[in-house]
Amino acid sequence: MIAAEGQSAPLLEVRGIDKSFPGVHALSNISFEVRAGEVHALLGENGAGKSTLIKIMSGVYRPDAGSILVEGRETRLAGPDDARRAGIATIYQELLLFPELSVAENIFLGHAPRAGGGRIDWRAMRAKAEALLASLEIDDLAADQIVGALTVGNRQRVEILRALSHDARILIMDEPTAALTEADVTRLFDIVRRLKARGVGVVYISHRLEEIFLIADRVTVLRDGAYVGRRQVAETSSAELVQMMVGRRIDNLFPKIVVPIGAPVLEARDVVRRPMTKGVSLTVRAGEIVGLAGLVGAGRSEFAQTVFGIAPAESGEIRLMGEAIRINSPESARAKGIAYVPEDRGVQGLVRPMSVLHNLSLAALGALSRVGFIDRLGERRLADTAIKRFSVKTSSLDEIAGRLSGGNQQKIVLGKWLANNPKLLILDEPTRGIDVGTKAEIHRLMCELAGAGVAILMISSELPEVLGMSDRVLVMREGRLVAEFDRAHATSEAVGAAMMGGEPNMEKAA
Amino acid sequence: MSATAALGATSARGWTLRRFASQEALLAVAVIGLAVVVGFINPRFLAYRNLADVLLGNAYIGIAAVGMSMVIISGNIDISVGALIGVLATVSGSLAVAGAPIVVCWLAPLILGVAVMAAQGAVVAYLRIPAIVVTLGMMSILRGGLISVTGGKWITDLPDTFHLADLNVLGAPMPVVIMVVATAVAALWMRYSPRGRSIYATGGNAEAARLCGVNPQRTVVMVFALHGLFAGAATLVYATQLRVIQSTTPSGLELTIITATVVGGVSILGGVGTVIGATLAAILIAEITSALVFINISPYWTDAVRGALIIATVIADIMRRQRRAARGWKK
Amino acid sequence: MSLAIETPGRKLPRWVTRHETMLALILAIALLALGAFNDRFLTVDNLLNQGRLMTEIGLIALPMTFVIITGGIDLSVGAIVGLCAIMLGYSWKYFGFPLPLAILFALAVGGAAGLVNGLVITRIKVPPLIMTIATLALYRGLAEGVSQAHSVRNYPEWFYILGQGSVLGVPTQLVILIVLVVIAGVALDRTTFGRTLYAIGSNETAARFSALNVDRTKLVIYTLSGLASALAAVVLVSRVTTTRMDMGMGYELDVIAAVVLGGTSIFGGSGTIWGTVIGVAMIQLLKNGLALTGVKGDATIIVIGVALILSVLIASSMQRRRDQSA
Repeated sequence: MIAAEGQSAPLLEVRGIDKSFPGVHALSNISFEVRAGEVHALLGENGAGKSTLIKIMSGVYRPDAGSILVEGRETRLAGPDDARRAGIATIYQELLLFPELSVAENIFLGHAPRAGGGRIDWRAMRAKAEALLASLEIDDLAADQIVGALTVGNRQRVEILRALSHDARILIMDEPTAALTEADVTRLFDIVRRLKARGVGVVYISHRLEEIFLIADRVTVLRDGAYVGRRQVAETSSAELVQMMVGRRIDNLFPKIVVPIGAPVLEARDVVRRPMTKGVSLTVRAGEIVGLAGLVGAGRSEFAQTVFGIAPAESGEIRLMGEAIRINSPESARAKGIAYVPEDRGVQGLVRPMSVLHNLSLAALGALSRVGFIDRLGERRLADTAIKRFSVKTSSLDEIAGRLSGGNQQKIVLGKWLANNPKLLILDEPTRGIDVGTKAEIHRLMCELAGAGVAILMISSELPEVLGMSDRVLVMREGRLVAEFDRAHATSEAVGAAMMGGEPNMEKAA
Repeated sequence: MSATAALGATSARGWTLRRFASQEALLAVAVIGLAVVVGFINPRFLAYRNLADVLLGNAYIGIAAVGMSMVIISGNIDISVGALIGVLATVSGSLAVAGAPIVVCWLAPLILGVAVMAAQGAVVAYLRIPAIVVTLGMMSILRGGLISVTGGKWITDLPDTFHLADLNVLGAPMPVVIMVVATAVAALWMRYSPRGRSIYATGGNAEAARLCGVNPQRTVVMVFALHGLFAGAATLVYATQLRVIQSTTPSGLELTIITATVVGGVSILGGVGTVIGATLAAILIAEITSALVFINISPYWTDAVRGALIIATVIADIMRRQRRAARGWKK
Repeated sequence: MSLAIETPGRKLPRWVTRHETMLALILAIALLALGAFNDRFLTVDNLLNQGRLMTEIGLIALPMTFVIITGGIDLSVGAIVGLCAIMLGYSWKYFGFPLPLAILFALAVGGAAGLVNGLVITRIKVPPLIMTIATLALYRGLAEGVSQAHSVRNYPEWFYILGQGSVLGVPTQLVILIVLVVIAGVALDRTTFGRTLYAIGSNETAARFSALNVDRTKLVIYTLSGLASALAAVVLVSRVTTTRMDMGMGYELDVIAAVVLGGTSIFGGSGTIWGTVIGVAMIQLLKNGLALTGVKGDATIIVIGVALILSVLIASSMQRRRDQSA
């Protein structure tokens, strides 16, 4: 029951959307639409702008420019309530549920059926909830169950039912399969198909190509806040989509300097840490840059955090410079010469309210202090050196770190860790959300470090970066290493294919 | 429907029933069980006179626990209620001694209680000051205010008509009647009224509550106001049983009320619990206090028992939540 | 690390607009005003005596500053004072400990009480507010239970030197306080430990990711809080010559009010020991001033309660204005 293009107005359409935040231009001139009975996927790597776009469509943000049309009529969404009234429901990754209340109550909170005297009619609520459950043929969830005890998959179902209870005609789903088991994903698709049949328009945000091909009718690709292209799913291929997602102008060629590669620094054998790291074995040598590619959710950051001690390994062996060690905490990792520049700059990397000076010294306090007393002169010297070395633009060392631009913030996080002269440097999305100029600076720095004998493990979702910088490219999928390429044989087709997997690991729908 | 799914459904339903009824049932069993055990050791414990004293003398804690439950379920805390009850008792008594109409003496604690608590709720909700700071400050203001205004004098020669708690309603003592009515009304309201449910929503996930059309700020003010109402009602029962109203507040009263609430099944992190459990727990705590005397343990250990109870309950609650969160990850 | 208030327009030198400087000015003005109002106030004798009286709160306010900087709170300090006072008296009188051992025992009890707080907060992850309310109840209850409301008196004369004696004219406990203030202030300002506290309060996740040992630091500060309470208990007993089970009641209010008044944000991430010292002095000043104008002791807590709420209010609205302009 998919409306043919052009026959009626789309359920939801946005035109010419612009949105900026301090220091970051999140969206430029984006247009997007979804029709009744269609699943329109929104595809792009992290930082592409998908999140911002759906927040605009659900009324959480207001666009700087552009218009929103609901069923052809221009609408202003002043807040999430307006969106809900317009029939738009959003299912976020962080589910907004009440863990101590029942399924039925979660669905109907705020608009519960009433009996005489205005009191809540629990029986009617339960009946309606059960009706909703039945309408999507969900037979293993009871209306009385307490949401907090449900698995993630079931909780998501409750969120979907909540949206349906509001008679939503447009359902926006933000990375819905990120935390689901394979069985849950199959059931989710089942539900999405039923919704399609009812004429609901679904905006499906994902970075997982195999799912797009299973469930979506059309797909729009975003990259760095800009619109790249739109395709009918039946008329495109995953190779083309990958190219659209990650391909960039190859005008900033990374100055890859070939450097002698030394002894192994990190050797991981069958490292396991539930739930994401299922058995990873890899080696990184001194002077080597190993690129770790994979789609979001492959488990790369989780593996890195296991090596760094945030989530210590449950089994398997890790050797550093040939010596088998146990890494139980970031402290012991640092002591052994491991450094980790995290993915989430603002939350994990920087202490934003603190000064540039204090952020730069934060990981090196032990080295900078004697008997616990911080050598302030030494600290300033370290910070001055870092500022100069990385060309950090800041008005002074005492400037609040949170006020700096993204690129400069990233330089500070890097500088913080390089102050320790680590032997193994793990970089997690080192150039995400950073301007081109700073990107090149960081790449140059990486080559410099490799030349000095540092072993570098670089996690990146930008294929050109991976291909351009790495001596070897490793690909992770679902918590395991699935492919390894040396520099000569790493091509975007080969790596992209490995990232997505040979055959999809779910049954194709009937 | 597969067998495992069917099993899942029934055990889920059973689990739900078990979860909600468990705390209240457990408490009821504890109350009765303790009485039996202590009565075995010292039969005088079971004398009607004693049991009546325990119940009547502590009913006011059960009433105050109803209001405190609402505050904690909404995700906040209040440690000023003990001092407030002291102040309200003095106000009520002073009015009576000054010759004001008895009805005024009885209404004054209710109205004043609502006013003082609602003001605190507004500061917490709209000025974003943490509840612990506001109520800590208010507790001292009330306590100090009481001493300085009364000068330490006790209120004696209260008129006979003052003693509301001595009246009977259809043969039942007034304190018990008020406690039962207060608990029942509150329980029904929190179950059947959308405003009542909004308390659970605000305490469970304030952001989600906002998206459901609940106004978290207004809910917090309402909760504190109700808390003040129940504190006023508790004062009524407490003060009108006394022949002499002291100018100090019962020490540690707020802790006892919080303990009753938490032991009664209200999670200190908010979002869950019932007032019935709180009332039952208040009775249990009163019973324990009396029991200690009858089995020859010094009453000075009461507070230690209370402290142990609250710690055990809180730790158990937090660990239960962590186990549940961990399970959500299972693939 | 302090709350520097930005002045629009001409930039004043940083140390002038520091929160602590402004507080010190207010304190100085208040001292002079009170002195003008009452000629008994600005005598050396009275001031030294005030110094003596503010030591107990001052001692506890030092680790409380650490705790609040990390975004935590410790409401059990008053109860720990009571418990340690009891343990001091009872181990001496009824267990037969020699008094010096009893003192050590009391300190150990305080440290253990604080350690329990820290362990449950870091291992079981009970929020500090909730844990310390619960231990407030428990420790007070233990104090009552152990003492059975009996007091202990008639300590040996030498013991009273701590609470009532002087060293070169300065009250003994004040000397101890001054030493500890310096140690605490230097630690907070210049050591890795201090820097870690600020990091935890500003962004605990980033602190962990920066390989700082967050859990061990938290364990240390809650244990210190218990130890300081124990020390305050010893000083208190020495000063008033008896041990009673209700000692320390209400201390948490004074301590937290002093810390917050001194510029430490209740939400964590900022604050200094020097500010806390001024805050303690101001609280003591309030009490003394009120007493001199004839207000009875108990009523002073009204003012302290108001001061607590007001200072958090003012601090948080200034913070919001600062965030908006950023």
